[in-house]
Amino acid sequence: MINAQNLTKTFGSRTAVDDLSFTVDKGDVVGFLGPNGAGKTTTIRMLTGYLPPTRGTASIAGFDIQKESKETRRAIGYMPESVPLYDDMRVTEYLTFRGKIKGLSGRRLKERVAAVIELCGLGEMRKRIIKALSKGYRQRVGLADALVHEPELLILDEPTNGLDPNQIRGIRTLIKDLAKERTVMISTHILSEVEMTCNKVIIIDRGRIKAADRPENLVNSLRAAGSVILETQAAPDIAIPSLGQIEHVKKVRELSSSNNWNQYEILVDADTDAREKISKLCLEKSWDLRSLHRTDATLEDVFVELTRRD
Amino acid sequence: MLAPLIKKEFRSFTRSPLGWVLFSYTILMEGICLSTAMKSLADTPLSENLVYVTFHTPNFWFFFLFLFPLITMRSFAEEEKSGTLECLLTTPVETSHLVWSKFLARVAFYTLLWIPGIVVFLSFGWITDLPTPFILEILVSSHLFLFVLGIYFISLGNFASCLTSNQIIAGIITIGFLIIQYFLGFVTVIWGSQFVAAEFFTLFSAQAHLTNACRGILDTAPLILYGLLTAFTLLLTHHAVNYRRWKR
Repeated sequence: MINAQNLTKTFGSRTAVDDLSFTVDKGDVVGFLGPNGAGKTTTIRMLTGYLPPTRGTASIAGFDIQKESKETRRAIGYMPESVPLYDDMRVTEYLTFRGKIKGLSGRRLKERVAAVIELCGLGEMRKRIIKALSKGYRQRVGLADALVHEPELLILDEPTNGLDPNQIRGIRTLIKDLAKERTVMISTHILSEVEMTCNKVIIIDRGRIKAADRPENLVNSLRAAGSVILETQAAPDIAIPSLGQIEHVKKVRELSSSNNWNQYEILVDADTDAREKISKLCLEKSWDLRSLHRTDATLEDVFVELTRRD
Repeated sequence: MLAPLIKKEFRSFTRSPLGWVLFSYTILMEGICLSTAMKSLADTPLSENLVYVTFHTPNFWFFFLFLFPLITMRSFAEEEKSGTLECLLTTPVETSHLVWSKFLARVAFYTLLWIPGIVVFLSFGWITDLPTPFILEILVSSHLFLFVLGIYFISLGNFASCLTSNQIIAGIITIGFLIIQYFLGFVTVIWGSQFVAAEFFTLFSAQAHLTNACRGILDTAPLILYGLLTAFTLLLTHHAVNYRRWKR
């Protein structure tokens, strides 16, 4: 569905997107992750034809984004960040206007507007002025707009930005439903959203791809080089050097201390498990032990690991 | 593609207070100009017709020039500020569609603003029970000239609006453009018409052309000039919209 080849965008001397290549297959639900300023929105703007790439190219649904820009835009349903809408229009009027500029007319237009109003739960709001809608409903109008012409690809830029937990849940459920029938690309930095909805993740930072895989594969790859949490009464000046001498232990740091109980995080090499050796050490040194467990890595750990600046 | 965009633009006037304020402002100012002209005609017998005197009252250019920043300042500036420009240009809408729709909708609205004034002129004889102090050709030529001048000023206002995301600044830039244009007409008045470029400045003098049009002389040279300038400004607007979004 998307085939990006060496996409690059520079603004003067600043490179916002640097040699980005990735593919998204039909039916994929892709999470496009990155910290603020990573180049997510610039990449999306290039894909949607709003910005021309400085170098490289991409095709969407088989259409070249530069040579066949109009066809590409027809194949995309795009909801930009902050969902800009015409506040003085009513919901149905706005969707009808958007349907018309996307090439719909007559009975088909009426059917599609009615269908997206139903799909996005806007029935009660159809005659309301957009200015009077809550943020959650504005988001729904934005989604309905992106869907009105039945695009093959849906691109959503920060779809749950600024919503309360109930609204987030509503939008997330809606996206899940939409993803059953079409390819969806979601740009976000809310990782739980991606874990719940996406079958593929692309992580970018400073304009470059850091990882592109299924979420579980990314988590497994980090888990292999994961960490062990130890809670003992051994003091840090004794425990940290002793633990550091165990085979495969890369780094030991104190996490917290309370009522003589100290919690340590022990980073270990990939594909190793030092828990047995740590427990033996505790026995040998007669350290009181309260817990010893391996932490389960999350997508958030992968994200932090790949994008942290220190 | 163009029709829904024009409709949307035009309706942004009819559904907003600004559109109705502009309509009232134009009717009020035209009324003031006309009543000033009628008072002049009542005080002293004049050699010029009523249309001429109405469009040469001190208020006329003041109100006329201030009309255009108000009509055009929101056109691109508001779309850019609210982010709806991105929404439009990521659909099959092209930049040229946007430029034309914003221009044509404003030309339609501007044309509508003159209708009450024309009706008042046409009903003058019926209301006052006096012989109409102008001939129909003069009413047509003066309003045709104001129409052509207006579409040029609208294109300038739209251009100013695409240069910024702040509609107040857009309005100030527009009034700046129009004041420069207005004072070009005074160059030959100040320096005389004996220097080399005098003819060029005369060609740019909207005041002189309006004077001629109000006497029933409709010169095609300024109409062609304003038509060409309008086309050039629209082209410039098209490039400026693309340049501003591509450099972002």
